Amino acid sequence: MALSAHDDLILLVRDPIAADALVKHVRHAEDGAVVTFDGCVRNQSHGRKTLYLEYEAYESMAFEKMREIAASLHTLFAIDSVAIVHRLGRLEIGETSVFIAVSAPHRKAAFEACRHAIDTLKKTVPIWKKEFFEDGAVWADGELPPVPAATPLAKPAS
Amino acid sequence: MQTRVLFFGKLKELAGGSEQSIEISYGSTIAELFDRFARQTPALAPYRTSVVASRNQEFAHWTTVLEPGDEIAFLPPVSGG
Repeated sequence: MALSAHDDLILLVRDPIAADALVKHVRHAEDGAVVTFDGCVRNQSHGRKTLYLEYEAYESMAFEKMREIAASLHTLFAIDSVAIVHRLGRLEIGETSVFIAVSAPHRKAAFEACRHAIDTLKKTVPIWKKEFFEDGAVWADGELPPVPAATPLAKPAS
Repeated sequence: MQTRVLFFGKLKELAGGSEQSIEISYGSTIAELFDRFARQTPALAPYRTSVVASRNQEFAHWTTVLEPGDEIAFLPPVSGG
């Protein structure tokens, strides 16, 4: 468990996600809205029946990227606080794999920030999902994160 | 110099493990590091264009020059959420 600026809560967990506690964590007297995203395990993928999923992460980097997302929400949107929790390991159908809660004085910022958070997480956080079917398993198609431009190979001597 | 290299997802299965340490000459780039593994494990070679690299937990360009003590990871397309 770790707290960052603005009392945000960023976690990678292996046990079921306690969504109610996360909502409670971000909700303060100054807030007029809490928007949440509950990402859950679907029972099929491209028409194939899914048995369960396994998530793995580059944990230290994933945590840092999730922390960066939370920090960026504060600069982009007029929000109060953020909770982003991703679960790893084996997840059964219907279980929550990722939960995001964003509080704000007004709903528009909370909606936009929550949407931005999940969209960015899916593009930049090093977490991978393996889908297990009755006849085999595959790593899910994903998104290739954007990489910074090349830097000069040699720095001039100073 | 010794460089610590991490593999994830599909790459971990192909490389035969999540973590390896490799001796590589000073001045080598991340691309050259990947090529070393691809020669050792040809099944990795086709993934050169569909993975990204990180250096010390930041996404890094293939031309990045390695420094002693770096932690390099090769990351397939991410699929969290």
